[in-house]
Amino acid sequence: MFIPDLVMLVVIVVSLTRIKPEAVLSIAFLSGLMVDLLGSSVLGLRAIVFTVVAYLAYRTRDRADIGRIITGLWTGLLTLGGVLLLIIVGTLFGQTVLLGEGVLGRLLFVPMTNLVLALIFTPLLVRIIDRDATAFRYT
Amino acid sequence: MLNREPGARTLPTFITLLVMGLLLMTFDVRSEGGGVTGTLRTGAQTIVAPLQKAAAFVVSPVVDMIDSLSNVATLREQNIALQRELAEAEAALIAVDDDLARLEFYEQLYDLETSGTDIGRTVAQVIGRPDASKALIIDKGTSNGIAVGQPVIDTSGYVVGTVQRVTAGTAIIVPITVGPDAVAVIVGEQAGVVVPQVATNEMRLEIFDAREPVFELDRVVTSSASVRFPAGYPVGEVTADAAPSVGALSTGVRPFVNVDALRVVVVLAWPPDPVTAASEPESEETSTTSTIGSGSTTTSTTVGGG
Repeated sequence: MFIPDLVMLVVIVVSLTRIKPEAVLSIAFLSGLMVDLLGSSVLGLRAIVFTVVAYLAYRTRDRADIGRIITGLWTGLLTLGGVLLLIIVGTLFGQTVLLGEGVLGRLLFVPMTNLVLALIFTPLLVRIIDRDATAFRYT
Repeated sequence: MLNREPGARTLPTFITLLVMGLLLMTFDVRSEGGGVTGTLRTGAQTIVAPLQKAAAFVVSPVVDMIDSLSNVATLREQNIALQRELAEAEAALIAVDDDLARLEFYEQLYDLETSGTDIGRTVAQVIGRPDASKALIIDKGTSNGIAVGQPVIDTSGYVVGTVQRVTAGTAIIVPITVGPDAVAVIVGEQAGVVVPQVATNEMRLEIFDAREPVFELDRVVTSSASVRFPAGYPVGEVTADAAPSVGALSTGVRPFVNVDALRVVVVLAWPPDPVTAASEPESEETSTTSTIGSGSTTTSTTVGGG
């Protein structure tokens, strides 16, 4: 039930680092493409969704470093947007199975799980990627 | 605080990637998963397969342990019930052994030979669920004799789906509840098809030449008319009574298999000759003509190889 979308979570976290935004978008696109290649859904679907999520994350990231809870909520909201976009774009391209029985559960639990994971791991991951022990201390 | 200044090339990069993604999607949809995109998928899956197997090897025991801990009360009851079933099964096995010995005796007596129609079975572990489409990745591929289009059942013999894509070491299974094709089935003595539906695991049973009603809990099994599944494998059970209306009948079918809970599946080497399978048409069209009043209507359905 509580299954996270780890790739989307990593894309969101990467957008909080000092990596160049163009590189963040490319990472998001390639990550999505890799997930598409390994899955059975249409190629490019997650590439588009993760790129949009990364762009939104990049444009709103200054709101995420206010506090740990805000970071979690921000991640949860972005994930919710990503899952919604995945369903909408997927359905437009004939991936009707994305509207399957567990669609409501996915809309609820994936963002919630990502929210919790972001609460716990985001500061640590950003510090590791940026090699900056002072990052995300919320002071 | 983070830097709020957006990069000058951010928006152009974003738009370029979006366009690339849309082009890829269009190309993949148009090529129906074949061509270059199909080759790319196979290549990527071949490369990543060892990692997936390693991850499954590490993660599966942990998941099993957590599952066991969360279901410990239920497991105790299941254990008692299983011990009882095991005792009954052992008794039945002894009886079967007697029958086999008798059969062997008669075969020798009358100089009989087996027809050689046994279906080869490859047991495979589910090592991944790539996306929300309920597809499954298994740890067996072409090197184990798996081919595209082969039917897949669970360890109890219930129909799971078919092999959609295969690499040397892995294969992707698409459940029948996802489709996209219908499966030819039999309910009682009536032949029909079950078709997947959007937004539900329940499938739809359509009988175009219905002579008698079907009832809740009636078993639905694969038909000998199916070119995708061998005959006689259970698919599911009827969810509601339904009577024929103008020669046709339609009702729901609840599949026996819960795809989300599958850990092990069995791939059937069927049809026995994969070359024949590959050369068979992807789908076949059946049509039923029924008379309504003074006119007549023709109902057509695509039984996707099923």
